[in-house]
Amino acid sequence: MNGRRSTLILVLFLLFVLQGTILPWVIPDSWEMRIVPNLVFIVILFVAVYRHRHTALLLGLSFGMLHDIVFYGRIIGAHSFAMGLSAYLIGLIFQTPRAPLPLMMTIVLLGSWLEDSILFGIYSIFKLNSEPYDWALLAYMLPTMLVHFVLGLLLYIPVRRQLEKLGNETRKEEKE
Amino acid sequence: MLKLFKLLSNKRLFILLITLVLFIVVMGFSLGTRKSLSWPENFVRDTTGFVQNVFYKPAGYIAGFFEDIGNLKDLAEENERLKIIAAQYTREKVQYNLIAAKVEQYEKLLLFTKSQSNKYNYEYHYAQVVSLTTEPSNNTLVIDLGARDGVKPNMSVISEKGLVGIVSQVSKFTSTVKLLTMMDSSDPNSQPPIAATAFGKVNETFGMVERYDQKTGRLIMTRIDEKDPIAEEDMIISSGIGGLYPQGLTIGTVESVEIGEGLTKTAIIKPAAEFEDWKNLLVVFTPEEEQ
Repeated sequence: MNGRRSTLILVLFLLFVLQGTILPWVIPDSWEMRIVPNLVFIVILFVAVYRHRHTALLLGLSFGMLHDIVFYGRIIGAHSFAMGLSAYLIGLIFQTPRAPLPLMMTIVLLGSWLEDSILFGIYSIFKLNSEPYDWALLAYMLPTMLVHFVLGLLLYIPVRRQLEKLGNETRKEEKE
Repeated sequence: MLKLFKLLSNKRLFILLITLVLFIVVMGFSLGTRKSLSWPENFVRDTTGFVQNVFYKPAGYIAGFFEDIGNLKDLAEENERLKIIAAQYTREKVQYNLIAAKVEQYEKLLLFTKSQSNKYNYEYHYAQVVSLTTEPSNNTLVIDLGARDGVKPNMSVISEKGLVGIVSQVSKFTSTVKLLTMMDSSDPNSQPPIAATAFGKVNETFGMVERYDQKTGRLIMTRIDEKDPIAEEDMIISSGIGGLYPQGLTIGTVESVEIGEGLTKTAIIKPAAEFEDWKNLLVVFTPEEEQ
């Protein structure tokens, strides 16, 4: 069981590396400022819905912190806070191990909007962005949501299968 | 009142409050200027940077290969253009050498100190891009040069087209570059404004490139004198006054000139190095100032 859990963390780390290295090459240059793909967060949303919100909270906090430290431009902790909190809230509202695909996709859309908005809020509190919210919503939050939707569709089957296996193994262990 | 105490004794709420306070402390602390990073940050950055390095380069080569196939048609045209530039360069090189020799002679005559004559001897160090994030409010990229190679915060980073950004944080083997798109005059910790001038009008034009407008994607140059001869299509370069930014880095071309606050003009500048997938960049090392 420990093996599978560490695989989850390793896969998340790999996704983090991919989103900083491969994805910029895939996205066309002119769209690069408008699409901010966050593969790690999509998987964390899956964890929040199909497993438990506390696991999602911890994963969100730690991988957000990783992002903050590696891409340390102005502030540390913003991503950690946004990812942790939004994953927890999504888990609190939607945690259903049997959520079907349409519901899950709605959650992905909602979750990515929530995360971007919290991030926007943090930057506004520290006066780090001067643009109004409605501009940010149209300029990059909506395109990002759509891209997350597509990425979520791609990730749905493999991630759900793995999470179910993880769940089965934990249940067996608890019985023993 | 009793109810409130009960609520506070709730373990979960207590943890929540503590983490909230912790986060605010960390954010506030990280917002200020920091000279160096703590060891956990160094460790995380360098290990991740190492793994990212393995991925970014091959991805760039593969993407570059397809791009090259797409650009095959333009190749002949580009070749011709480069030939003309090369011819011009060889002509100007001779002239440059003569002028450089003369300048050296004059510097000797005028008894320049060593630091004065070394002031504009920049070193350019080649850096590989390791990863980047495109988030509008935190637009940074990571390069594979670090404190070990002598990189320090606030050094300028350029591509072959022009100024890209400045180094914001340095760990042992990697450093983070804040792109010009994060320039913001209302943020006290943003890159300081660039003292700039126009190519060919170095002695007449002066202004400060102060911020980047995310909505239009243009840099704003302010505090230009009313009588300044700045015009559209002028190439804007850094003037080197102030010392932080090296002299002669290309910033962009003037798109339009407007009337600014009071008796000044404001120029809208189209950045020379627009956002793209950089493979490699140059870090400008300014000569050490003797203390």
